[in-house]
Amino acid sequence: MEYLATVAILIALYVILAASYNLVIGYGGLATVAHPIFFAIGAYTAGLLAIHTDLPPVLNVLLGAVAAMAASVTLAASSLRVSGDYLLIASLGFQLGLLQLIRNLELTGGPGGLSNIPSTIVGAARTPIFLAITIGLAIASVLAIRAIVQGPYGRAITAMRDEELAFTALGRNAMTMKIVIFAIGCGIAGVAGGIYAYYFQYISPDQFEVLQSAQILTMVVLGGMGTAYGPVVGALLLLAIPQAITFLHLPPSIMAPTQGIIFTTLVLIFLFVRPAGIMGVDSSKVRS
Amino acid sequence: MTNIVLPRRQLLAATALTALAAPAIVRAQSKEPIRLGTAMPLTGSQAGYGADFVTGMRMAAKDVTEAGGIAGRPVEILALDTQADPQLGINAVNRFIGVEKLPMYFVAWSPVVKAVAPISNREKVLAINTGANAPEIAHLGDYVYTAFPLADVDISKLATYSVKTLGKKRAAVLYINNDTGIDAAKIYREFFTAAGGQIVAFEAYDPKATEFTGMLLKTRAANPDMVHIHGLLTDVPQVIAQMRQLGMTQRVSTYSVAYNPKILEQLGAAAEGLIVTSLAPGVAENPRLTPFIERWKKEAGRAPNGLPYIQYQYDMVLMAKAMYEYLDKKGIAATGESLREALLAVKTFELPMTGQMVVDGHRVDKPVYLLTVEKGQFVPLATLS
Repeated sequence: MEYLATVAILIALYVILAASYNLVIGYGGLATVAHPIFFAIGAYTAGLLAIHTDLPPVLNVLLGAVAAMAASVTLAASSLRVSGDYLLIASLGFQLGLLQLIRNLELTGGPGGLSNIPSTIVGAARTPIFLAITIGLAIASVLAIRAIVQGPYGRAITAMRDEELAFTALGRNAMTMKIVIFAIGCGIAGVAGGIYAYYFQYISPDQFEVLQSAQILTMVVLGGMGTAYGPVVGALLLLAIPQAITFLHLPPSIMAPTQGIIFTTLVLIFLFVRPAGIMGVDSSKVRS
Repeated sequence: MTNIVLPRRQLLAATALTALAAPAIVRAQSKEPIRLGTAMPLTGSQAGYGADFVTGMRMAAKDVTEAGGIAGRPVEILALDTQADPQLGINAVNRFIGVEKLPMYFVAWSPVVKAVAPISNREKVLAINTGANAPEIAHLGDYVYTAFPLADVDISKLATYSVKTLGKKRAAVLYINNDTGIDAAKIYREFFTAAGGQIVAFEAYDPKATEFTGMLLKTRAANPDMVHIHGLLTDVPQVIAQMRQLGMTQRVSTYSVAYNPKILEQLGAAAEGLIVTSLAPGVAENPRLTPFIERWKKEAGRAPNGLPYIQYQYDMVLMAKAMYEYLDKKGIAATGESLREALLAVKTFELPMTGQMVVDGHRVDKPVYLLTVEKGQFVPLATLS
């Protein structure tokens, strides 16, 4: 039960991450690969505050989210004047630079990571409480993002993403909107990071590498980019399948290629069969 | 006539021994097995070591079962893949505890050990480190112990030996900028300096680096008479090869990670004089090792990766046997708490592959075996106790 609950907590945290990334890249059209660093900022801020202060955990997680939002605004304000490839490169530099800083600071535990983060909740109820919190937050994140994008502000976001020039010509401020979307998405990732630090009680820079972006992006693309529930399906599939495979007790020589083959096959199948993702709607079919 | 009698006697003796041993083997195999969990990288970049670690443990499980098992029960190894990744390590340990209901498990790789430590302490399940050497492992909590000496054991002795016996006075320390490298480099610096030497270069390199010319030119300018490299099997040979290309002929020392036949194949003549450490006795010190290596080669078709580490994995099954049998004699059920008590009560373990192991709190101390490369072979250099 503990095992399944922990896997469920991890899936819920990745649902939050994938949903927030979907808001930035899927709805906002902002090509960034820096999402793991905002996850890291939330985790390290909450973890360090938990170790060095007596502040309540909820406040520490919120401060982690605020730190992630502040960092995202710094990146956005300096690089969102440009978009497309330039933003991608700026976000890559931000991700690599900040992670290198974390890796080299004694305060953050250096490359060895931050261990001995206190366990806020003790006893048998710990995992069920974290499970309830993470599932609750995952549902709240998905619904909040859905509410944002389905309202008038969401239509403005889509308009900005699809036709920025026309959007600006109508007198709307694209820059402010981009910064707001970026800050919301990264703040949500910061919340996920804070809870991750409290639940797992250990974080290291290797867990927030740029390759994590590829994993979260695959969740978004597989589930359906620009759809409310796509990231949920993507995170569920990409995290549950590898765990399920381990129960087959395959020898390592078969296990390693099997996992690779399954992922590649899934991606290829969805590229051909459902190019808009599992939850996505094929726009050509809608028109016809 | 004599030629016929002797084999007949041997045959009779063997038959009698088999007949005597058979009930124990049958008894062991008919009872519910004792399952020992091990969380190792079975896939990914570290799988070369991790998979061999598990093979070593499985060989021991087979031997122990055939010799009557643990308290009459057969031994099974349940290996789960971590890819040396903390998150996968957490998943594996949660499965050991939540699904497989194991009271104890083995684990290696420093980030993984650190990541799973909170779970062990929370759930009161005994975690035993069998290969990671970050000094911080000694402070991870009440349920995290190590059977493998941490970096302060071999590196401190190597640094002191370099000054006092080899007569080196100016050392350069080149280390990988990660958990493995940083702590060990600091220990080397501390002990080399304390022994009267001087550290003339102290340079870190990125874990993903493949080009070391800048760092090496700076090191060459510092004019060291010894270079200690603390990295991983993937980068140590590259650093040494580039050193030699730049005309740096200083003697190089490193640690147990480079005690691997692969490094000799990769470096060829550039490996001559290299000093490595080993925390387990070699064939010269332990007569059991030669048959073990031969058996390994017969079964796997090649030499083991990281033999000293595998010796520890083999011994872990014997260590578990001593702990389980201690509890069995007292009629206590095996839980994380009781196994922890057994570990501390038994304290001194006589192990076939690595020798005596004394659990000293959350540390173990062992002799350090130094080897050097001569004519393309590792040969013993010194034993530092």
